[in-house]
Amino acid sequence: MSNHADFAAALIDPERPCPDGLFSANGADPASRFAVYRNNVQSSLINALADSYPVVVQLVGDEFFRAMAGVHVQGTPPRSPLMNDYGHDFADFIEGFAPAASVPYLADVARLERLRVIAYHAADAQPLGHEQIAAALVDPQALRDLTVELHPSLNLLDSAFAVVAIWAAHQQEATLAGIDLNHGQHALVLRNGLDVEVFAIDQGASAFIQNLQNGQSLMQALEAAPAFDLSQTLALLISRNAVTHLHNNKVSP
Amino acid sequence: MTATTRTLSATALVLALGSALSMAAVSTVQAADNSNMEKCFGVAMKGHNDCAAGAGTTCAGTAKMDHQANAWKLVPKGTCATTESKTSPTGFGQMEAFKAKA
Repeated sequence: MSNHADFAAALIDPERPCPDGLFSANGADPASRFAVYRNNVQSSLINALADSYPVVVQLVGDEFFRAMAGVHVQGTPPRSPLMNDYGHDFADFIEGFAPAASVPYLADVARLERLRVIAYHAADAQPLGHEQIAAALVDPQALRDLTVELHPSLNLLDSAFAVVAIWAAHQQEATLAGIDLNHGQHALVLRNGLDVEVFAIDQGASAFIQNLQNGQSLMQALEAAPAFDLSQTLALLISRNAVTHLHNNKVSP
Repeated sequence: MTATTRTLSATALVLALGSALSMAAVSTVQAADNSNMEKCFGVAMKGHNDCAAGAGTTCAGTAKMDHQANAWKLVPKGTCATTESKTSPTGFGQMEAFKAKA
């Protein structure tokens, strides 16, 4: 193992000995100095996860969270210096983390919190004005073939749990009282201006938006989705500045 | 698909998008109104709170007393902590409900 790989491995795994060849300026035991450094690295990574997953922290408590995050840090050291991206696979880890199995919705709450981080850091895009959207009404026949480009921050999450209600309940006083945890919800996450917003939408609306994201035309996306309130869904997308382009496929294929 | 259903569907889409635009216009106006405001507890005059005056009330306009600690009012962003509140331990409005001083 190279010096570098040796050092990196010891930094992440407390079971490993202090790497060879280290010296301290003041003659102190290098192993104790290295232990301090290792501890700082690990706790800063755990802190980064706690910052990205505040509701997960609340759901399991600080002690459990830090222990769980510590296991994740050891198995998945960062691959990039960008800490906002660290822990992007934390939800999958939680799903397979046996001690957390008694909180079945925990992984999906983590997925929702990850979508919020992604939305926050997503590229900017200029939304269409209402007049520009209204212009599409002029040609009803072309409307059905229109494809709709949505804001880059926009993402969906289909959950078997009441993930939006659970998340929302932890924004102020945390209580799960009155929430049917096993009532599945479809989450829509997007950034409107500088604010990341979370909505619970119908299954049909979620499928429709997913179809639009996949490049289907308005009519295709509508026909391939279970019944839902189209006006309300479009109104939500428009009012949250989530519609960035309308492409008329008849004129410019 | 027949020509008739094509036309119908197109009409339905026009109607849906048209009403979506008018709904969006309304909610955008509301959003604009609130975007530069913050919830401030303990500064509303009796009956003039915007919402949250405790369990069993239907919110807006139900505060029983001036500067009620658990009733909030929308105030311009950044001004809450400098708005006088006679019930607040800090003497000013707070961003969350608080226990009124005796």
